[in-house]
Amino acid sequence: MNVQFKKGVLELCVLVLLDKKDQYGYELVQHISRHIELSEGAVYPLLRRFTKEGYTTTYLQESSEGPPRKYYKLTKEGNKYLQELLEEWWMFTEGVNYLIDGKGI
Amino acid sequence: MMDKRQFLSKLEKAILTLPRNERDDILYDYEEYFSNGLADGKTEEEISSSLGSPEQLGKELSAVYYVDAVQESGTTRNFFRAFWAVISLSFFNLLIVAGPLIALASLLFAGWVVAVSFSLTLVGVLINTLIYPEIFEPFNIFISIGLTGAGLLIGICMYAVTGWMKHWFVKYFQFNVRMVKGGMKYA
Repeated sequence: MNVQFKKGVLELCVLVLLDKKDQYGYELVQHISRHIELSEGAVYPLLRRFTKEGYTTTYLQESSEGPPRKYYKLTKEGNKYLQELLEEWWMFTEGVNYLIDGKGI
Repeated sequence: MMDKRQFLSKLEKAILTLPRNERDDILYDYEEYFSNGLADGKTEEEISSSLGSPEQLGKELSAVYYVDAVQESGTTRNFFRAFWAVISLSFFNLLIVAGPLIALASLLFAGWVVAVSFSLTLVGVLINTLIYPEIFEPFNIFISIGLTGAGLLIGICMYAVTGWMKHWFVKYFQFNVRMVKGGMKYA
């Protein structure tokens, strides 16, 4: 799978997961890497960009094990962006599935 | 195989040009990642290999920072830092970003040279007249007034075009950071 495609999908996965609940980096990566092969470190540049663009905010929360964890929370703008990406995703996969099923000819 | 200390020191080296607080914040994120992984029963070596190359991550984190900085404050310095950070992401980026930028920058430069040299013709004719009053020609004055006017107009246009191009290049940088390889292990 080419990198551009994977990067776009990773963006979508992160937003989808954060929409379900606030999560810290490690937790988020474990949820994704259980299903999709990825370079785990790449999630942080993505999260930092989301925070700079206002799609996510962060807060620290104490944990019983080790240092406080930085949690990421989806903002309203982040949710709006997620909806846009989801719509693109559905349209794209629908089109591809249609072609795979041979209905395009 | 790298342990936590080696990974973090390589990463720190790769983001050395970023401001202190940004750097500390980034290192905190990866330290947190290590401590969560260790609590999960992994070894430092396993964690660092699953994170990917610290050099490549550092490049991507720098690009994220500088492309955001040029949006916050579009100074020329920030523009070139963002440009540098984006072309450092990969050889492919060097081609698709530096190529068009150099081509367009030379066109802009040519436009500015025309604008400035046209604008200065009136001054040139006046100086010439002061030094050699005997070869004064009214025709030269009229032509140079016309050229100066045209030069100033071209200058105003070039100013607008330059700002506009800068804006679109920043958008293009953003697109590159979003879509082009950097930090991803599997091509």
